[in-house]
Amino acid sequence: MRLQSDQASSSSTSLAAPSNSLAGSSTPIQGSNSFNSNGHSNGTGPTTNGFSNGLTNGTGPSNSTPGSLKNGVIKHNKNVAHVSLPGRKLFSDSNVDREEFVRLVVQSLRDVGYIESAATLEAESGYTMESTEVAEFRNYVMEASWEQAEAALIRLGVTDEDNLMESRFLISQQKYLELLENRNTTAALMVLRNELAPHHVDPEHLYTLSSLIMCSTPEDLRHRAGWDGSRGNSRTRLLSNLQKHIPSAVMIPQRRFLTLLEQSRLWQQQRCPYHNSPPDSMSFSLYRDHHCDSSCFPNTTTTILEIHTDEVWNIEWSHSGEYLASAGKDKSAIIWRVGPEKEPAQREYTQHLVLRDHQYPVGCISWSLDDSILFTSSENHIKMWNTRSGLCMRTIETHTETVTAIRWLPDNSGFMSAGLDRRILIWDPEGNQRDSWGMAPIRVTDLDVSPNMTKVVAVGVIHLPPIPHPPTSTGNSPAPGARGDSASQSPQSQSHTPSYIVKAENRMIVYDLATKHQIASLRLDGETTSVRVSRDSRYALISHAPDEVLLWDLSLSRIACKYTGQKQGRHVIRSCYGGVDGNFVASGSEDGNVYVWHRDSGALLEVLSGHGEGSVNAVAWNPTNEWMFASCSDDKTIRIWEAVTPGMLEAAAASTPADKDTVMSDSASVAGSSKNEKGKGKVTS
Amino acid sequence: MGMSYRQYLAGARIYGCSTCKTHLATIHSMLSRAFNGQHGRAYLFEGVVNVVEGKPCDRQMTTGNHTVRDIYCIKCGVTLGWKYDKAYDPSQKYKEGKYILERNLLVDVQ
Repeated sequence: MRLQSDQASSSSTSLAAPSNSLAGSSTPIQGSNSFNSNGHSNGTGPTTNGFSNGLTNGTGPSNSTPGSLKNGVIKHNKNVAHVSLPGRKLFSDSNVDREEFVRLVVQSLRDVGYIESAATLEAESGYTMESTEVAEFRNYVMEASWEQAEAALIRLGVTDEDNLMESRFLISQQKYLELLENRNTTAALMVLRNELAPHHVDPEHLYTLSSLIMCSTPEDLRHRAGWDGSRGNSRTRLLSNLQKHIPSAVMIPQRRFLTLLEQSRLWQQQRCPYHNSPPDSMSFSLYRDHHCDSSCFPNTTTTILEIHTDEVWNIEWSHSGEYLASAGKDKSAIIWRVGPEKEPAQREYTQHLVLRDHQYPVGCISWSLDDSILFTSSENHIKMWNTRSGLCMRTIETHTETVTAIRWLPDNSGFMSAGLDRRILIWDPEGNQRDSWGMAPIRVTDLDVSPNMTKVVAVGVIHLPPIPHPPTSTGNSPAPGARGDSASQSPQSQSHTPSYIVKAENRMIVYDLATKHQIASLRLDGETTSVRVSRDSRYALISHAPDEVLLWDLSLSRIACKYTGQKQGRHVIRSCYGGVDGNFVASGSEDGNVYVWHRDSGALLEVLSGHGEGSVNAVAWNPTNEWMFASCSDDKTIRIWEAVTPGMLEAAAASTPADKDTVMSDSASVAGSSKNEKGKGKVTS
Repeated sequence: MGMSYRQYLAGARIYGCSTCKTHLATIHSMLSRAFNGQHGRAYLFEGVVNVVEGKPCDRQMTTGNHTVRDIYCIKCGVTLGWKYDKAYDPSQKYKEGKYILERNLLVDVQ
């Protein structure tokens, strides 16, 4: 807000005393009629009013010619003829109210700084952006005339009892804080006692406010109150909070036009199935509807990494997006280095490290926040590897069954692990156990921590003891509702299960990270194999058999979307978010394809083939390049998928046909090393 | 093949592999304790989990000729017993499709 700085110059021109007299006489202007009738009487009775500097964004008018006006309609200049139009619509065949439209345009023009144009438009249209009352109110708030501001509320149409109370409270609160800031404790106390306390607000809030009296310095006060002081933006913020209680037709919300344009942008974005471009880019022009070309989608294999000697079960990008870790049945993990893009979609992939020394196949892999540590799990062991040297720093053997999840904590305080032994453990960055959650009700098959550190989502299975006498297959056996179901129950039919197989119940459980309390629990049909919390901490993406990926809304505690098409029976299949804003959902599948959906609509966008026999076990989107992801498969390979437009392919083919095989080298240090004998990376184009 | 987690059992008594404690069977699926294996006493189970079945072969046992397959622990690969594919003697038909686990190779687990 530039209001304050402009105040001085504008008050010398047109503000000042007369505004008060006007305020007393005029009535609140709400409807269009009053404007219309006034607008015609073009420029008689020159008066000053508060309006001219009461701009929404505070850009004071720079011209020194005081406009002529009557009743709040300002006529700044050179007899602009009022254009009289029939009706009230912007166009005869539209539903847009002309006055509303014009007032928003005037507001926008003023905010930008086109003061003259705004005035001209007001004159020509006969509509004013807002009444003198509003401008005065603005000044009262900005100049801390609290009594007058309070009195003005009713004139601005704040008649509803609740709104009025709320508004008065906001004003008193500001007054109280400013008094405290000026070390006027006695007066502040009076405000607290006589104005704030009687409002019956939340006692806790009132307590917080009263405790601020103890602040020793204004800085301390501002810090503790989360308030930036009378010289900061607090009055502006107060104004916009008060705005919410004032009829918007009287006082137009700030930058209203921009809000509408933003909504339009969001709407277009939501309807763009292949959306994958940043909001500030050239892709959003007001001239045309936004649309992302599907050819920009990463649906082409640009590289195949084939060093693993057996099935690849899991992949994970480093946070920098420069390394990819893979692991699997061959009891090793490999860290690949992704080279810079030389030609479009042509990069060099080098095998940075091979981490062996696992007794069993490697199931999960995870990076520390700074990418200096890679975690691998093999059965009940967790290994911590230095990603520079490739040395194993520590082997943790606390878990007693298969470790299924390792997640670095977003606050960098360590990591969390979980396993089929039902243990959920918290570790410090060195790998010393810091906390244990006791026995979870489920054997955890995967777990994730929300980036905002509020929730933990675990998926897994509860095994219920078999029924002693097999014939009772009513499907109504041991209490599945005992654990506080929040979601629907689909009674599992037992009739086809042999009696010796234990009944298993699959579940997702959401915990509050701070209290370890269960917030939500959802029963799922088949084995759960992966869970991912979205970057905005809003959703949890869960893969489970049979053949379903599910999006759980953590804030509303309900299913947001389901994704189908992929195959998942008995294998651990993992899914992930992808693209700008996590707009896509991708999953592996037992049919050997990669599936990609539009996250919000659930529409299946791509079924990408290429991998050989067996399952595609995991997919991982590059965290720093929205146009690149990787998949891994039983066929022992990892595929890198990128967007390749036809033009790029031609360019690639024309440039270096002989160089189609990217060079693989054992050492990461030699970037431009000779064409290596190990050259197994392929560019298939 | 893809990655799979081992199955877990629940119940009053769970038998696991004595080498690696992988869950194998529960007492609820036990049919008989009156069997003998290569290492002494053996149990007949209606079903077991987490085992790999070997190739079928004919074997002469005290109760007659049978087609059986050896079974191995899915995690550590230890031979645990066998599965009856076929019993030639009509009185032994009840064993078909059932599993033998040798008691000395089992351990109680939770």
